[in-house]
Amino acid sequence: MKYVLLAAVAVVTLAGAVLLGAAEVPLRDMVASPIVWQLRLPRAVLAFLVGGALGVSGVGLQALVRNPLADPFLLGLSGGAGLGAVVAIAFDLPGPWALPLAAFVGAVGAMALVYRLGLMGGAELDPRILLLGGVAVGAFAGAITTAIVSLAQATELRNAFLWLWGGFSGASWTTVLVMVVYAPLPLAVLAAAARPLDLLALGEEPAQYLGADVRRLKRLVYLAASLLTAAAVAVAGVIGFVGLVVPHVCRLVWGRLHRTLFPTAFLAGGILLVAADTLARTVVAPRELPVGIVTALLGVPVFAFLLRRWTVS
Amino acid sequence: MRRWAHRTHLAGLLLSAVLLACRQAERSPSHQGVVVTDDAGRRVGLAAPAQRVVSLLPSFTELLFAIGAGDRLVGRTAWCDYPPEALRVPSVGDGMPPNVEAVAARHPDLAVLYRSGPNVTAAEQLERLGIKTVLLDLNRLEELGPAARRLGVLTGRVASADSLARAMDSLAAAPPQPLTPGPQSLVFIVWDNPPIVIGAGSYLDRLASLAGARNVFHDIAAPSAQVSIETIAARDPDFVAVLSDSVVPPRYAGRPEWRVVRAVRAGRFLFLPGQLFGRPGPRVAEAVRELRHRLDATP
Repeated sequence: MKYVLLAAVAVVTLAGAVLLGAAEVPLRDMVASPIVWQLRLPRAVLAFLVGGALGVSGVGLQALVRNPLADPFLLGLSGGAGLGAVVAIAFDLPGPWALPLAAFVGAVGAMALVYRLGLMGGAELDPRILLLGGVAVGAFAGAITTAIVSLAQATELRNAFLWLWGGFSGASWTTVLVMVVYAPLPLAVLAAAARPLDLLALGEEPAQYLGADVRRLKRLVYLAASLLTAAAVAVAGVIGFVGLVVPHVCRLVWGRLHRTLFPTAFLAGGILLVAADTLARTVVAPRELPVGIVTALLGVPVFAFLLRRWTVS
Repeated sequence: MRRWAHRTHLAGLLLSAVLLACRQAERSPSHQGVVVTDDAGRRVGLAAPAQRVVSLLPSFTELLFAIGAGDRLVGRTAWCDYPPEALRVPSVGDGMPPNVEAVAARHPDLAVLYRSGPNVTAAEQLERLGIKTVLLDLNRLEELGPAARRLGVLTGRVASADSLARAMDSLAAAPPQPLTPGPQSLVFIVWDNPPIVIGAGSYLDRLASLAGARNVFHDIAAPSAQVSIETIAARDPDFVAVLSDSVVPPRYAGRPEWRVVRAVRAGRFLFLPGQLFGRPGPRVAEAVRELRHRLDATP
């Protein structure tokens, strides 16, 4: 039932995203219009995929570090992506994919560093070390980024930050294809980890006794969730809040079982981001809002409402 | 259609008339102190017109040369590349923010700064070192005249500064173009992802209007704003203007999502060199002429 409901809302939201926009496209021209085919549709599909990826990634990371504050970008990924993007612009790397690819490499680099810190001294991805390592690596990458920005003379560098704040202006069928090809593997890895992640919620030792290979589980979930987030950064920049709030909302509404959490978080994340992007494009027209602002404006009230209901009952 | 030509001609006439009128006035140089109020509301007083000036913005450097105070310049930023004589003046760095020690090392009696947060701090530091500073706004065409006048007072070039300022003021006072669909429309694209365009609150918007072209985002009051590609496609400008020293179409021109915009698809780009178009300056009339020329020359 919940899947039918979520799928219906998703279809309505996507339809809204395709129907609404600055250009007036008559209904009968919809099918042939390049505005719909080259701009609105790829943008809506990409927003849905990125929102879904961030939602799932958030579920995985929150389960892994057993901390409700965990966000896919908390573990140093946004700092690394920012450094990559600024390097791409400062050194004028050629090609249309230089910036997203550099951001991806930066994010994966930061992730690898945090991962390595998490394994130091046999710590085996201790949540506390992951969180501290993530903050430290993020700060380090941020310092290098600022150094490059203040030393290089490219005025375009300011715009690297605009890109990094996130958005779907660069959406095209190519970026959709990148996500469609890339995302299934980490998504499948996370989906397969649903049952052991339920056990992990009981604590590492009980999970181990109940038959979960905790060591392997933590490594796989960490890598899959981070790689998913890194891909989202590459195609859409750092869009905060979806990966933090969507898992909580799904947990409050549909319970804590990961078998349910992963698919509902994917659909809910997609819906939230498509709705947010449609609003970002239309409410202040002809201007556009950064989509991260809208995700927060939409997500926080819903979140607060659910939190209140949850604590009262 | 040719209103711009009329306007610049008028400005030229005014300029020569004022130059004649002021030549007499400048014959008696006063040896008393000079005082102006800057755009930060500060009273800037010098015992005598400044003899050693550091300019911390390319537009100020151009203005100083244009009012005949170029020989007083003892420091400039790395960006100050016009007029060519400016390159002979030692650079004090990129000026963002100003390197206070480098400025002080030139022993100026006046530093001219653009009014911005970091520059206000730098000005306070320079004042503590005993160097007088003046903070001026220079974002819009209307601000060129007042800036030139005050630089003229501070360097003792009142007459020529005043004549230049009058020419600038007459351009700035030109009535704004009515927002009817004109013969030619353009969009200034500053950045592609996210798309940032120039709105009405900017110098470039005025340039376009003086050149007889309509900025399709004139309804946005801010100097610049983020918009969607779809909005640009819906406004359907005839030209895409980019600040660029080369004539190579920008990278995004080949991307499918951008090719929805007719002017991008047709390759109707206007390449505007940053030295002339990137900043408000005394060559505003030249910039208007150049833009008009490019609008006529691009098929």
